[in-house]
Amino acid sequence: MSNGSLPLAGVIALLWGAMYLVTQVLAAPPLGTGTTVLIGAGLTTALVVGYPSALRGPRSKGRTRSAPARLQQGRHGTTIAAVGRSMPLRSGLTADGARRTAQLLQPLLSGAAVAITDRERVLAFAGPGAGHHRSGDAAAPPTAGALSRGKTVLVRRGGELGCPAPECPLRTAVIAPLTDGKRTVGTLQVFRCDGALTPRGVVEGLAGILSLHLELAELNRRQRLAVDAKLDALRAQINPHFLFNTLNTIASKAHTDPEETRQLLVRLSDFFRYVVRQEGHFAKFGQEYFFVRTYVSLEQARYGERVRVRYDIDPQVLTARVPVLIIQPLVENAIKHGLTDKVEGGTVTLKARVDPLTRTTSIRVADDGAGIPADVLERISNGERRPGDGQGLSNIAGRLASLYGERYRLDIRSSEDGGTVVDLQTPLG
Amino acid sequence: MHDRHDPGPPAEEHDTPAEVDAAFRTLRRVALGHVAVFTGVLAAVPLLTGALAWWSQGRLFGGMSPMFAMTAFGLYAFFFTVCLAAATLSNAVEERMLGGPGRDAPRGDGPPAA
Repeated sequence: MSNGSLPLAGVIALLWGAMYLVTQVLAAPPLGTGTTVLIGAGLTTALVVGYPSALRGPRSKGRTRSAPARLQQGRHGTTIAAVGRSMPLRSGLTADGARRTAQLLQPLLSGAAVAITDRERVLAFAGPGAGHHRSGDAAAPPTAGALSRGKTVLVRRGGELGCPAPECPLRTAVIAPLTDGKRTVGTLQVFRCDGALTPRGVVEGLAGILSLHLELAELNRRQRLAVDAKLDALRAQINPHFLFNTLNTIASKAHTDPEETRQLLVRLSDFFRYVVRQEGHFAKFGQEYFFVRTYVSLEQARYGERVRVRYDIDPQVLTARVPVLIIQPLVENAIKHGLTDKVEGGTVTLKARVDPLTRTTSIRVADDGAGIPADVLERISNGERRPGDGQGLSNIAGRLASLYGERYRLDIRSSEDGGTVVDLQTPLG
Repeated sequence: MHDRHDPGPPAEEHDTPAEVDAAFRTLRRVALGHVAVFTGVLAAVPLLTGALAWWSQGRLFGGMSPMFAMTAFGLYAFFFTVCLAAATLSNAVEERMLGGPGRDAPRGDGPPAA
């Protein structure tokens, strides 16, 4: 644990040694014991509290900037830049997001009314005329032109707006399309009551900002879909050979050992129930541990004494949240590629720890099997794949990157005939 | 002795030796951690006597010194707390590391709703 609690313990021991030296040996007369203990306790507390911050490093500039950005969200209508920084449409073109966006934009436009529509309906309306223009109403007739051509439409006469209310104060409108990349998904409409048109460039600029937000929302949605797809791929990837081999093993024991056969069938059922029933991207380590145990016991039924396993589990890690189906593929790799290639077999070690100071969960899967040749290891490290390669490690790395960004570590060390060690560190959840 | 219709013991009570070994090692870590805390607090009482004059000469309620209050009441409360914490954690660890899917597992049988 290079950045865990052990270095901190060493620093604290050094601190107390230095304290003793300075206050009791070098100082004349020596300080009182109580004073020394109090100073030492204070310094130790400062070290323990400050250590995680020091490990995390200086706060990024982006994070520093986010505080004023958050503050400006409350100052609706101060600047267009403030509107650009706020992200009410980051969750897509929803009624709630549109309402907040319209309320944010309306004060910017000198009292003009603002409406946001999807392809058919008004999602939000703010400003004069809000009494009879409500969300859920059909969009004004000129909207169709903006949607079909993907260009801004200018409405210079109130009659063209198609509003049935005779007291409607709206006279002109500028209708700009909203896109989420390539598709036109709605419009931004700015109305005025004085007969003048809101400058087209302003409306198109605002529509551009909102379109950018919608595009980001679409990208986020696709990213989530990609992560879901990777998890589904991993679920579907449970090797059919594993099922065939396990069923063959069970069949071979059916006549000689009915009790073990029953146990294996229950374990096989547990194994597939876990794969199918697990929802979401995270699970408690205790659940994943049960899944790994089930898998290993099935493999041990097949390989017998050739596959040995040693679990070394920290009590605190059992309730930590870890990504689902991450540990079992690592153990499967260790057995499939490490141990079964050796005639005498070997031992897989699963070690799991929690470091509360750095708030990380560390999982190590090690084997003393055949190891990975240097060229293959380099290929794996570079993320290259060839036909016939499994997709376990690349899938795991992709999912971890999607879930944690850069806040995880996946290290693989291996030497031929010396075994393989896979270290995984994730934030403690 | 099971009768003829007894379905027998549930399969999840058959843990492999490696699993029992792992649970034992984790429980040992729990025990050692609590013993360390226990020993640390116990050792702190005489150490404080040497380090802080207030510890043995100060007066709390009823004229008791802090050391007297600690040895008369505090240590017993601490022993009870440590024992309770150790027993609770040990039970939770055993439940999570041995047997079936346990309390955290997804519930229900049959195919998923989706």
